[in-house]
Amino acid sequence: MRIERWISTLPLRWRSLVRRGRVERDLDDEIHDHLESQIEELVARGLEPAEAERIVRDRFGHVDLAKERCRETRHMDFVDALLQDLRYAARTLRRNRGFAATTILTLALGIGANTAVFSLVDGILLSRLPYPDPERLIGINATYPNGAFAALRDDIRSMDVAVYAEGHRFTMQSGGDPISVSGARVSAELFSILGVPPALGRWPRAGEDGSPRDRVIVLSHALWSAEFRGDPAIVGRSVAIDGIAHEVIGVMPPGFTFPSSRTEVWVPLGLDPTNAPRYWAGDFMPAIGRLRPGATRAQALGELKLFQPRVVQLFPWRMPPTWNQDLAVVPLQEAVVGSVRSRLMILIASVGLILAIACANVANLSLSRAATREREIAVRTAIGASPARIARQLLTECLTLAAAGAVVGVVFGTQALAMLKRVLPADTPRLHEAQLNWRVLAFTAALSIAAGCVSGVAPVLHALRLRVRSSIEAGGRGGGRSVAVSLRVVLTVAQIACAVLLVITAGLLARSLWTLSTIDTGFRTGGVTVARISPTMAVCGAPERCVAFYRAFEERIRSAAGVQGAALVNTLPLTGAIAKRSFELEGFTPTSPNAAPLFWLNVVTPDYFSVLNIRIDSGRAFARRDLDGAPVAIVTATTAERFWPGENPVGQHVRFVGERAWREVVGVASDVRGYDLSRSVPEFIAGVVYVPHSLTGTMEDGRIPVDMTLVLRTPIDANSVAAMIRNAARESGGEIALGAITSMESLRSDAMAAPSATTSLLAAMALLGVSLGCIGVYGVLSFLVSRRTRDFGVRLALGAQPRDVFWLVIKEAAILCFGGIAIGIGGAMLVGRWLQSELHGVSPTDPVTYAGVAIAVAIVTLIASYAPTRRAMRVDPLIVIRED
Amino acid sequence: MSRPPDLVQGTLDLLLLKILALEPMNGHAISRRLAQVSDDELRVSDGSLYPALHKLEQEGWIVATWRTTENNRRAKFYTLSRLGRRQLEKETQQWSRLAGAITRVVNLRA
Repeated sequence: MRIERWISTLPLRWRSLVRRGRVERDLDDEIHDHLESQIEELVARGLEPAEAERIVRDRFGHVDLAKERCRETRHMDFVDALLQDLRYAARTLRRNRGFAATTILTLALGIGANTAVFSLVDGILLSRLPYPDPERLIGINATYPNGAFAALRDDIRSMDVAVYAEGHRFTMQSGGDPISVSGARVSAELFSILGVPPALGRWPRAGEDGSPRDRVIVLSHALWSAEFRGDPAIVGRSVAIDGIAHEVIGVMPPGFTFPSSRTEVWVPLGLDPTNAPRYWAGDFMPAIGRLRPGATRAQALGELKLFQPRVVQLFPWRMPPTWNQDLAVVPLQEAVVGSVRSRLMILIASVGLILAIACANVANLSLSRAATREREIAVRTAIGASPARIARQLLTECLTLAAAGAVVGVVFGTQALAMLKRVLPADTPRLHEAQLNWRVLAFTAALSIAAGCVSGVAPVLHALRLRVRSSIEAGGRGGGRSVAVSLRVVLTVAQIACAVLLVITAGLLARSLWTLSTIDTGFRTGGVTVARISPTMAVCGAPERCVAFYRAFEERIRSAAGVQGAALVNTLPLTGAIAKRSFELEGFTPTSPNAAPLFWLNVVTPDYFSVLNIRIDSGRAFARRDLDGAPVAIVTATTAERFWPGENPVGQHVRFVGERAWREVVGVASDVRGYDLSRSVPEFIAGVVYVPHSLTGTMEDGRIPVDMTLVLRTPIDANSVAAMIRNAARESGGEIALGAITSMESLRSDAMAAPSATTSLLAAMALLGVSLGCIGVYGVLSFLVSRRTRDFGVRLALGAQPRDVFWLVIKEAAILCFGGIAIGIGGAMLVGRWLQSELHGVSPTDPVTYAGVAIAVAIVTLIASYAPTRRAMRVDPLIVIRED
Repeated sequence: MSRPPDLVQGTLDLLLLKILALEPMNGHAISRRLAQVSDDELRVSDGSLYPALHKLEQEGWIVATWRTTENNRRAKFYTLSRLGRRQLEKETQQWSRLAGAITRVVNLRA
């Protein structure tokens, strides 16, 4: 019933709202029709028209009153009031262009920053993953090698599972020169679990990741467009991947970026139980799953937990108990976003603070105006405006400003978002999905309404407490500490506190970045050029040929003009690549018979240590004779300390699990930051071993490493280096794919890309925050000074020195400044622990940073109070007193 | 004053709905019909008639259409809506109950 009424009168309400002129005309016409009809009636009965009209009007009563009561039935009077308020607001703001512009700009900065960062949050954290039914997708916080995955796939009932190993480099050749592409090894189900249909062709079928006979690949849209010029007939073509022919079965659409936006090719796993080392100790791969209908995440976790002890039994050796110890399942969304979440949270908190500072500024500015408008408001009150009406008027003004700020803010926000996307590391997950959409705009709208209300509260409070009579009597020039003054002091203190919080955060991040950038990596970065070399299978199919090729190649490079040193390594530090092998150590008895520790295996040529300046702590580095002589190894200092504490590691013996001959440890190398800038090795790696690049230096698959990185000390530029490498390879009788030529320096700065992006963004916001805060301090002090001009004048007239006035003003400034700093520091100590994960080598309550920030902010606020203080000291008592 | 004092609170709505239930008409005709059928006993001031009609329209009980009269004026004609018909029934029942009760009280013998 009520709904029916609501619906049936909807057109009527809409009409009264938007077609106001029309509705008014209708009312006029209706009354007119009534009056005319009655007059006609009377005239028809023989009355004079003038007489008839008089009678009719008399009978009708007050026409305008009747009309007004008709209007009241529409319940639209609030619209009239609103329009009136809006018109009034527009008029007053036009008259105060400076005020309006400052306010709108301040709000626009705050709103724009929030819009941009919220676009990121929305695109990365909030919006659903671009896969069908994303809420059924889960990330499994565990890693499985091929064999364990094959067992898991057969075992688990609650979900479909897939694993993927990203970051592989493959050498791809299809007719022309070989190229090096970035790819992922994936299980066949990965595609059906994510559910994104291919742009061309098909997904791998179930089982196509098993038999080594089915050699198929799926291409990324980018690779297909760039390398195959978008050839629509690509499906079915044969392409060599690492020298082995693979059939292209499909091309994924452009937006498909799993596991990462760098993935160019997906190669099915090739699960081969006959190759035990690779089957059980190859890549330890992260897993994802799609819950089957009716299954829950808890069930999935339960099954995985039950599976864990069973799979451990399947390994041909004992797995360490730490493997998959913190097994967990999370929504895939969380798994994908990973560590970016905490950085985004820091960003959104910071822009929130910026907006708070901006609002405080606007509130302060409005209060200044409210002070000069005391008379206007008093007059309006005196002639009958209710306090509510005046409050509404002031609020309308703030909301109008906020709306204008929002419009400008969205423009700023678009620019800022483009900038953010450039500043943030390109491998930030889902970065390309962040954009200004309706959700972001709704957020911006809500935010600006909130900002309008928040910045409107202070002036409204002030207006409501205004003493009407005293204001009129005092001629709008009060003295002493009024409500307005204390409100403004509170606002400014809050502003400085927010700014201090921002600066401390930025300061901590900057210090952490500084620590990272000055970390001794343990190897030389300056003047070192690196290049990934991927020979084709024609060269490296047979180990003897491969080793011979590399020897000749290295020799040619070493003797090339301008090269001061050259060496080869399988896994370069700071690239995130790791080669793992299980080791046996002489004299070290594992806790259980088969728990051989997992080591990071570096296969290097003898000059590696001298080219990268890696210190040999004891023993010796590799020599040429080690390449063909008795097998040897070098361990790192930490590894030696861990397995032979207190003993001399030189002369001890190690060997790969499955290797017959022992290798003699001939030296101990100092540790390098190999995994990332803060860690030498990831947690699951027990130690680091170097072996010479020779026929015995094999990887877990029993083969010698095919792809090697050339490490060069040379002043030559990248282009000449590329030409030189190609020449050397050709002369050594091999065809290679050459990866990007880069420097150790840039690898190092890449390793700092994410923290340095966060730091520079925070620094920008801190700067913005402090600037806005200074405007606030300047504003409130100017206001205080102008209010106390008479007071100062009298003091000066009575013999006070300008110095005394100076101290009076500085005292006020000090209250603002130190109040704000104290609260800001308190706040920073409270929220500091949220920063912990982003800080390296700096405590969240680092006293140096806190003290530095306090001093810097104090100096800046005092500078901001310079102008008002000077004004106060120059008050001319004569002028002031004459004014009254 | 929104209504003449001799009209019981709320009965104007009932009268207007009843009159419009017979046929659609404009304000002028309603006013005339009201005077006619009640032998000039119930006379609503024209100034009160229109706000009352507008209220009924906002309630969704009557619907307005515009027609051009023979004198070439725009005239607003009101028609009872489905909701209005339901409301009329309800108010008629209420009125009968009230009138019956009052009649019984008035006819009490001492």
